[in-house]
Amino acid sequence: MKVALERDWCIGAGNCALTAPAVFDQDPDDAVVVLLDESPPETERAAVEQAIGRCPAAVIRLLS
Amino acid sequence: MLLPVPEEEVRPFDPPPVYAELRKGPQVVRVACPTGIDAWLVSDYAGVREVLGDGRRFSTRPGQAAHVLSGFGAGDGEPVEGSFAQTDGPEHIRIRRNFAPQVSHARRLAELRPMVERITDEAITRMLASPQPYLLHSQFSTAITTAVIAELIGVPPDRHHLLHDAATALFTTSTKPGELRTALEPLWRYLYELIATRRARPGDDVLSRMIELSADSDRPLTDAELTAMNGALLIAGFDTTASMITYGLVCLWNTPGQWERLCAEPGLAVTATEELVRYLAAGTGLLRQAVEDTQVHGQPIRAGDYVVVALQSGNRDPGLHADGDTFDVARKPGPHLGFGHGAHACVGQQIARLELTAVLRALARRVPALHPAVPLEQLEWKKDSVVRGPVELPVRWS
Ligand code: SF4
Repeated sequence: MKVALERDWCIGAGNCALTAPAVFDQDPDDAVVVLLDESPPETERAAVEQAIGRCPAAVIRLLS
Repeated sequence: MLLPVPEEEVRPFDPPPVYAELRKGPQVVRVACPTGIDAWLVSDYAGVREVLGDGRRFSTRPGQAAHVLSGFGAGDGEPVEGSFAQTDGPEHIRIRRNFAPQVSHARRLAELRPMVERITDEAITRMLASPQPYLLHSQFSTAITTAVIAELIGVPPDRHHLLHDAATALFTTSTKPGELRTALEPLWRYLYELIATRRARPGDDVLSRMIELSADSDRPLTDAELTAMNGALLIAGFDTTASMITYGLVCLWNTPGQWERLCAEPGLAVTATEELVRYLAAGTGLLRQAVEDTQVHGQPIRAGDYVVVALQSGNRDPGLHADGDTFDVARKPGPHLGFGHGAHACVGQQIARLELTAVLRALARRVPALHPAVPLEQLEWKKDSVVRGPVELPVRWS
């Protein structure tokens, strides 16, 4: 699984870091999403898909 | 057709039935709004997500509520400096990113949790020591959310009334634009002074952190921007959440088995919170304005046209949940439109989740016998407001 981000449009809502904390974190200064693991293990797929659905700014993409 | 708006005395928790018809198609229809503007009404989940998710095609400049609140008159004058709900694109993101770390950073939320739980516990202890029936909305829900948001920004208790006065004027449909400015003045003036104080002597509150954070950026926030942003946070932060606590409890008590289920398993407070926000989402919808000629579900929409998105209807879309009209405290949390969607999605949503979860969990644990003191039919519902719910809720416990 491969994950990509468009950080310029992130509004720092934090849903990703709360939904899939193993894959996403937030920058301590501006709360913008930080990708912890761009190729997370398959066990994280459900959580990543949840995070994509719950990201209001649609900045997370699943590449494979 | 007239914009269908909630009628709680007929259907306390559901959108008007016409929305179920509209979702089958045509999902985009022309409506006349109570404030006199005409708009396209989008009522299905995918359509609402498309409109709210694309800030390049749909602007929020006319404000989010000019279809139901005359005080938010679409197009009357320039938005105030820093009124970030009416700013689009990178400018909006610049403002929002100064906010986000204080109210929606996962680590910051973990820090805030004990404060919210303490305020909730104190409110329950006060309630249990009071005579019955007890007025839950004004004495409990509002007291908690006011205390949380005021503590967050650093507004002392003797100034809490400034928030209440401002919010009443802001969320009341009968307020005229001129009156609105007068009603907001005292809060704005107070915040101005507070900003000067915090610039001189920073504390550990949201305001001080925002000043400090933005001072390091290439375009620090002005006093006017800080005032408008913190004012908006203060006002929106207590009334909407307080109403959701009160309205949510009524919904829990009146849907067979749901309150009992929560009391048996207070850990369900997390899913119950998400479900309440999905189920009772802003029934009056949100407003956008097309910035270019475009289409939604094949319906041509011209640049300048208004678009109303029906959040509650979208959340009941069978395409999102086959049983979307069922209220289920244990529903697996997933995406919904209850906090809006897109770049303007509710900036206080994590704080609201924190408060709702803390309140539901604590009440389920400490006061499972809590119940309404009057039948559902006797409740008076807020009419002239975007924030829905009972005007007051008398309760008892044993
Ligand atoms: S959920 Fe989306 S907008 Fe929010 S922090 Fe994560 S990536 Fe950014």
